[in-house]
Amino acid sequence: MMDLTSAQWVRHAVTHPIEGFEDMRWKKSGSLKIAFLIVGLLFLAELAYGRLYGAQFYISYDKIFNIVPYIVRSFVLFGVWVVGNWAVCTLLDGEGTIRNICIYSAYSLIPYVAQVWINVILSHFLIRDEAVFMEIIRIIGTLWTVLLLFSAIRSVHQYSAVKTVFAILLTISAMLIMLFLMVMILALVQQIWIFLLSVYTEISYRIRV
Amino acid sequence: MKKFFSKLTAALSAAVMIFTAVPIDTSAEQPYDSYNYDRWGDAIPSQAGYTTERTVSGYDLDIGAFSSPSDIFISADRTFYIADKDNDRIVAVNEGLTEVSAVYDSFTMPDGSETHLSKPTGVCVSAENGNMYIADTENSRILIADTDGNVIREITKPDSEIYDSKKTFQPQKVTVDKAGNVYTVLGNITTGAAMFSPNGEFMGFYGANRVEATAERVRNYFRNIFMSDEKRSRRTRTVPTGITNFDMDGDFIFTCTSSSSQTTDTVKKLNAAGKNIFANMELTFGDFTPMYDTSQNKVLAPAIVDIDIAADGNINCLDYTTGRVFQYDEDCNLLFITGALARQSGGFVQVAALESLDEKLYVLDNVKNTITVFSETSFGKAVHKAAALYNEGRYEESLEPWYEVLRRDGNYHRAHVGIASALLRKGDYKGAMKYAKLADAGKIYDKAFEGWRSEFLKANFGYILAGIAVLIGIVMSAVRLIRRRRKEADGK
Repeated sequence: MMDLTSAQWVRHAVTHPIEGFEDMRWKKSGSLKIAFLIVGLLFLAELAYGRLYGAQFYISYDKIFNIVPYIVRSFVLFGVWVVGNWAVCTLLDGEGTIRNICIYSAYSLIPYVAQVWINVILSHFLIRDEAVFMEIIRIIGTLWTVLLLFSAIRSVHQYSAVKTVFAILLTISAMLIMLFLMVMILALVQQIWIFLLSVYTEISYRIRV
Repeated sequence: MKKFFSKLTAALSAAVMIFTAVPIDTSAEQPYDSYNYDRWGDAIPSQAGYTTERTVSGYDLDIGAFSSPSDIFISADRTFYIADKDNDRIVAVNEGLTEVSAVYDSFTMPDGSETHLSKPTGVCVSAENGNMYIADTENSRILIADTDGNVIREITKPDSEIYDSKKTFQPQKVTVDKAGNVYTVLGNITTGAAMFSPNGEFMGFYGANRVEATAERVRNYFRNIFMSDEKRSRRTRTVPTGITNFDMDGDFIFTCTSSSSQTTDTVKKLNAAGKNIFANMELTFGDFTPMYDTSQNKVLAPAIVDIDIAADGNINCLDYTTGRVFQYDEDCNLLFITGALARQSGGFVQVAALESLDEKLYVLDNVKNTITVFSETSFGKAVHKAAALYNEGRYEESLEPWYEVLRRDGNYHRAHVGIASALLRKGDYKGAMKYAKLADAGKIYDKAFEGWRSEFLKANFGYILAGIAVLIGIVMSAVRLIRRRRKEADGK
């Protein structure tokens, strides 16, 4: 029973929000490759949302193109979520490994990614008066992902519903702390770099004279 | 090859000589670089819409220097009236600013006695009855006089319940509408302009500014809830900045407010009921991104001290901080930015008032004590022509003038908007989409896209239907095939 290929497991998990991930865990299935593919698609979706959207809805600022915000919104955010969840749930007796957290979370992002792509395509066919259809798709996709993410965390750690909510809230605060630390480290490194650079400049001036 | 290069250098040096030999019209040079804003709101170099024609001082008019002149008004018969504040007089000058037609420093009261002005800061002449309305500030009165200097009526501090008797009455600017109602901006009154009936009765206030909801105000509001009445009464009250100046255009009164802190309601268009038509339009007047001045350690936030509505509906705003005139069309699209803070001709030290007549702008400087006359350039003419046609609703006729503007300045934002709407009106949806995208005009793009889409659907409906039918057929046969294979697999 339930002898599915890894592609079929993706479909099963996404279309069965309540028990899909439980089944997957039971069968010890899930592919890291597909998970990374999904996060890659999320990155491309964010890019398309920012740059390829229909001009009747949004005209992007095309004087400067900076890829960093898109990377932060996809790869960095996902990575911080996975690490944060793993860190929090290890302390809360969760059973999930970092590999499983990564796979399950990535699978549950599929409706969200699909929603973005569908909206990017629809934005070239619809006008502003019909934007309500896109809004509906957006809401459905986002809610579906939220539901899947909840179910993924519950089954990967074998938590009760209340404990899952608690763990997710803690994860979000852990994410904020990590992002804050990252920004601070960047700022500090920059300061040190500037200090070293100015020391070098001073010395080079002295030597030349 | 060497020969070629020597020929080339010879040709180039000849070209340089030709260009330098041609006399360049130096009067067109300004003490500043003209700029405009692109579709992202970034300042970019642009062509000037106005150039300095000349500056006029009191000496040019043989009446001695002006002293802190504070207002200028052009009457219906094209006479200039200048409120020469520190000289306590009103000067009437002819249209060309060459000859003084009258100097009013004393007036005859109805009872025959003589009266003098004291620091008059505002003047206005009614187009209907030809009377002068003078804001005689230090005398706390508004004088209504005919052009021979006979006072017809004197308006003084109103004795009314609405008017706080503790407040002074210091008229700063004055204007009059078609019906003869007098509006005046008062110093230290923030509840709007005082309005008087034609026979001098106080009718109330008109067009107060709103209080801006800054974080501080919101915080004070919540603090107020928990305060005792005693404490509350001792706190400073939150009041909006009073309006600074106004101009009348048909049935509308435009007001401007110069304040370093207030950013809402700096320019208003009020209808007869006192309702601001610009209130919900999210408009910015003055520079979009005010420059930070390092030498003064402050942000050069716009302070619009005078507003003028030209005969063609263009709105001219005079910015005190930067000494610039911002010209907008009647839909508040920025057309030109003219002037700067500079000592040279065409620059200002401290601007006070602004008027326009036909295609000229007149800016009064109350430190240089001069009137600077700006005349329209040929680029300005092209833009004004296109904008006027556009605003009259003659979109298709405005198309060619807009293209002409674009040929001269390919970055001119207003032209892209104009062409996009003109093409949309014409039914050239593809072209309208192109220009709407360049103009960052999402709404126009949306309408153009809607038109293009319905045209496309109409033209290709048969193909689309056929395509869908073929697609359904393929999907159905694929499903059938998969089912059959599954059955076979189960059978085994």
